[in-house]
Amino acid sequence: MDWGKVKFFLGEVFANFSRNAGMQLTAIGTVCVTIVMLGAFLYTRETVASLGNGILNKIEIAVYLDDSVSDTDAKKLGDQFASDPRVSSAQYVPKKEGLRRMHDVLGRDFDLSLLTANPFPNAYHVRVKNPDLVPQVAAHIAKIHGVAKADYAADTVTKLLKVSDTLGRVGLVMIGLLVLTAAIIIANTIRLTVFARRREIAIMQLVGATNGYIRGPFIMEGMVAGLTGALAAIGVLFLARWQVLPKLTSALAFVPFHANEPLIAGELLGVGAAVGFIAAWISVGRYLRT
Amino acid sequence: MIALRGVSLTYPNGVRALEDVDLEVAKGAFVFLVGHSGTGKSSLLKLLYKEIVPTRGQVHVDNIRVDTLKRRKIPYLRRNVGVVFQDFKLLSHKTVWENVAFALQVTGAATKDVMRQVPRALDLVGLSHKARMFPGELSGGEQQRAAIARALVNNPKILLCDEPTGNLDPVNTTEIMELLMRINLKGTTVLVATHNQAVVDRMRRRVVRLEDGRILSDEERGFYVRGLGQSQVLSG
Repeated sequence: MDWGKVKFFLGEVFANFSRNAGMQLTAIGTVCVTIVMLGAFLYTRETVASLGNGILNKIEIAVYLDDSVSDTDAKKLGDQFASDPRVSSAQYVPKKEGLRRMHDVLGRDFDLSLLTANPFPNAYHVRVKNPDLVPQVAAHIAKIHGVAKADYAADTVTKLLKVSDTLGRVGLVMIGLLVLTAAIIIANTIRLTVFARRREIAIMQLVGATNGYIRGPFIMEGMVAGLTGALAAIGVLFLARWQVLPKLTSALAFVPFHANEPLIAGELLGVGAAVGFIAAWISVGRYLRT
Repeated sequence: MIALRGVSLTYPNGVRALEDVDLEVAKGAFVFLVGHSGTGKSSLLKLLYKEIVPTRGQVHVDNIRVDTLKRRKIPYLRRNVGVVFQDFKLLSHKTVWENVAFALQVTGAATKDVMRQVPRALDLVGLSHKARMFPGELSGGEQQRAAIARALVNNPKILLCDEPTGNLDPVNTTEIMELLMRINLKGTTVLVATHNQAVVDRMRRRVVRLEDGRILSDEERGFYVRGLGQSQVLSG
């Protein structure tokens, strides 16, 4: 390792940076904002995806029995549901159990003492082997005597997934535009540095520096700008995760907030570095060709 | 070492800089290019390090066909051709030492080579004692010495000088020309474009005279004014 060469290279990069500190801050800020939005988007997308998948896999038909059906008849009805070859399980959920489960899900925000009577009917949770057959099985069960209603959330789920898919696409386009903006601002910053250093570049070319060598410090400058912006963005996102997420979790109890955070952080750093690299490459490349 | 064969150069704006120029320069020669401003002296030098490309004809430098040389190979050509200008082209925020070292560093030279070559080049031009000064703290002559050191630090085979004394007083001019002579004596081929009559007349070297882009005369041990020296092969 030739430390003299490393020192010279880093000195050139630092000289680039200090030539345009103000513009660099703008570029870093833009990258930061872009990547905060990208990070929030990735996090939300993963959460929505796992929410949707979780719901689809757990899809159940809630079979509500008439209040007039006795416990013994209810048991018989359960056997009848379970005997259907399409059904994998039929779990009895008496009224008390239904109320308790709701309480479990909603937690302390749900005040049981407000209720004067248990509003839950006796019910069965029927699981179907193949989610596609849910509508068929539900229709069949609904006709059985003693069944008040056979409900399932499939419609809601597919609608939800469709909506989140559309939103995801719109988000992706917006983020694409933001990334483009960040790239253009970095490219312009680098162009200013190139302009400020045109005498050096002319001398480098005169004494026989290769274009690759001339490009080096500028590429590094772009990547440092991109990476710094990404790091700042990751900092902001972590702050948001500590401050905002607990509030969201308690407000939206049924949403499983979850994402592979190290992976997302890695992706964001990669995007930052790539944007800086590409922007700098194009910017210097255009100067060196003319 | 250098050969131009039937070289013509027309700039994109239509200006004809060179017309059918033939020129041979042997290894180790010292050649003056003289002529009024705008007669193509600078253009001719620029062809030799491929700053510009001829419209027609061939350019050979050190057995390399320059006019057809691939763009990515130009840097390697330029490491063998040192260039010095009237306005020195030093970097004002770097010291003399850094300016000279820069030429090596940007070609990826190892630090130990930089540490060995830079003092040698500074010693050659007599600037060792001012290595830590900035160009703004030097006289014009000293700045040109620094520029020459930078052009030579790579040990090029050819040194091209475009009006090297154009910004200097007579004393500094003499010193710079003596320095170029010493460099030539060490084996470097030197081409000097100038319209300084005193310099040319005192040195009595080969004089190639350009007029309107053509070689008007080419004399061994020539003077600035045509016809006073020994006639050599006239071209064109």
